[in-house]
Amino acid sequence: MFNRTLRRRTVMAGVMLAALAGVSPSVLAQDLSGELVILQWQTGTDGQMWKDVEAKFMELHPGVTIREFLPAGTQGDPRGGIRTALLGGEVVDIIINTWPAFRAELVNSGILRPIDDQWASFGWDDKLSQSWRDLGSIDGTTYGITYTYGDRSAIWYKTAQLEKAGITPPATWDEFLASFDKLKAAGYPAPVVIPAKYWAHTEWFETLLLRTAGVEAAAQLAAHQIPWTDPKVKTALMKYAEMLQAGCCAEPATMLAIEQPYPTLYTSEDSSYLLFGMWTNSALKNDLGLTEGVDYSIFQFPSLGMGFDDTSSVDAKELNVTTNGANPAAADAFLDFIVGPEASNIMANYGYASPSTAMDASLLGPVQTIATGAVSSSKVQFVLGDLLPGDLVDEYRVQLQKFLQNPTEATVDEVLAAIEAKAATAY
Amino acid sequence: MTRSVAEAVTDQSGVSSRAGGGRLRLPTTSGWRIKEAPAAWLLIAPVIILFGISVVYPLIDTIRLSFFDIKGLAPAKWVGIGNYITLFNDPTFRGTLLTTLIFTLGTTAISVSLGWALAMLCAFAPVHTTPFRGMMFVTFGISEAVSGYMWLNILRPDKAGLLNAIIGIFVPGYAHSWLGDPNTALWALIFVASWSGVGLPLMLCFAAVQSIPKTVLEAAYMDGAKPTSIMRHIMMPLSLPGVRVAIFINLLGALRAFDIIYVMTGGGPVRATETVGYFMYRESMTQFKLGYGAAATVVLLVAVLIISIPAIIQRTAGAK
Repeated sequence: MFNRTLRRRTVMAGVMLAALAGVSPSVLAQDLSGELVILQWQTGTDGQMWKDVEAKFMELHPGVTIREFLPAGTQGDPRGGIRTALLGGEVVDIIINTWPAFRAELVNSGILRPIDDQWASFGWDDKLSQSWRDLGSIDGTTYGITYTYGDRSAIWYKTAQLEKAGITPPATWDEFLASFDKLKAAGYPAPVVIPAKYWAHTEWFETLLLRTAGVEAAAQLAAHQIPWTDPKVKTALMKYAEMLQAGCCAEPATMLAIEQPYPTLYTSEDSSYLLFGMWTNSALKNDLGLTEGVDYSIFQFPSLGMGFDDTSSVDAKELNVTTNGANPAAADAFLDFIVGPEASNIMANYGYASPSTAMDASLLGPVQTIATGAVSSSKVQFVLGDLLPGDLVDEYRVQLQKFLQNPTEATVDEVLAAIEAKAATAY
Repeated sequence: MTRSVAEAVTDQSGVSSRAGGGRLRLPTTSGWRIKEAPAAWLLIAPVIILFGISVVYPLIDTIRLSFFDIKGLAPAKWVGIGNYITLFNDPTFRGTLLTTLIFTLGTTAISVSLGWALAMLCAFAPVHTTPFRGMMFVTFGISEAVSGYMWLNILRPDKAGLLNAIIGIFVPGYAHSWLGDPNTALWALIFVASWSGVGLPLMLCFAAVQSIPKTVLEAAYMDGAKPTSIMRHIMMPLSLPGVRVAIFINLLGALRAFDIIYVMTGGGPVRATETVGYFMYRESMTQFKLGYGAAATVVLLVAVLIISIPAIIQRTAGAK
């Protein structure tokens, strides 16, 4: 009797398991429940976009409630707050991450859960190309699913100002430098605005490095396989000096004092060009109410003719899932959702591009269309500053501030030697 | 003659002497120590527990952390005094020591001397200057973060900055980036910190002047002393205890300064305004090198103790 009962239960269990195995993950996701905790550090318009994304997920999965955990901010770099939260015992299911070096730190600390099984079971290969999977992988294991990316080699400009100066977006470096005088004559005394108080002054160097030395050299520099004193690095910085000496910008002291967020910068009547991330698009549209492609637009970094004009710097944001999260099923479902059509389209409406094929590309505005087109036709390299060890990136930013103060060849040598000295101890 | 007046005042004030020449003797605890000790311990127990949790434990743990190499979320590694050796070989840290010294001395010198001078002037018309003193003291009560944001606008690098606009009246088109120029950023911060810090010295010195017996001042007037002489030979020497307290408090505040630097310059430009306090924050919270940051914290703590202990000994001497 007992044996027969046991056998029947075993058979029943086997049948149920077989049935479960046959059901697709998306069907299983319908039965999700409980609280899903997301470590979310974006504020302003980006924060609101996340709330919309989360609301949509909860609408699709009524049993799930999402709680955002917002870490304390540390001057534009939330990593300190994220570390404090995790070390303090905060249990989260999902972490929003934009720094590959930080992902490695989380993996080495045993905080992240690999997502290779989910990648296969949810069929994310249909939505994301192998290159996006590689971007979220470490030594062949996938930890991050990229949900948005941005062109960091796009120069923003105000259409009315260029029209007033009688110029069109410059295609070459020489045209770009020549445009400064025309913009000044039109009443814009500092054609390029470089907010150098913290980090934004490094953007110009990073794209110039790609355009003068290529993605391979930039990747080698990020891994410190070539020294900072390498002639290729010096060439990039000398090009930066060329721009400064051509009268691109305000006085160094003014650049070093500027920290205002991009909408404020954009309302300045002094400057026309800004090299900044694609989140600028969302801010200009949603915070300032400007019309994409009408009030402002972008052009891809002008060509230098040094053999590497097909390169661009990019950034990306990904989601990571934790090993100790209380609701792994909901976390996995959220990962699937974030590259699905609903989430991708919400982001597109906010002005962000998703790498997912599920996104309706027609929702992208003219600026994002230019940017995504430029990235898809470029050899890309991730933002250098986000790849460097924390200790080094700080020195890198400070030394480039020194460079801005006096952009001569002697300073370039001095600055690169100082960064190299720090790099020698940072890896 | 005037020196003897000051001495006489000290004698009359009863602060350090009693009529008859005997020292002021505060009630001692020796008489009830044994009998009432349990009750006394019970009464101060909550304070001791809170102090232990909020000060002693974090302090001991910070000292413990300073002996470990902790980078990011990686496990801690024991390095002994390695962090301290690295710290004193770190040119950035050595630079912050100098910056801290300039900031601390500059802020203290300006705020205390200005506060003291204003207290002297206010003492001649104490009633009429009450609103002024109140306004000056409000600056001490304003959070450094709030005053930092306010001064950011005053010191804006463009012509819209209030300071540049005022200078622009005399020098048309003038625009200087006070906080972006490494040569002026630290001095701008010292000025702002002094502005915030002047209220307390003013009140302390004013209180010290007010405690001078009127009979002494009246006697000086009757002897034909001029206001400047009274200020120089009576008010200034007799307000020195207030000045000493003001110096002590301002030194400690300037040594630990963080909020105003965080808000206004972020330690820049090119680390020109990075004090030990900000260095400690950057290493601990931005770089997340907790052990290294803790070592910097301990160095700052030692500096604070070096300043505090003599002052505490001096203030508590004779209190038994």
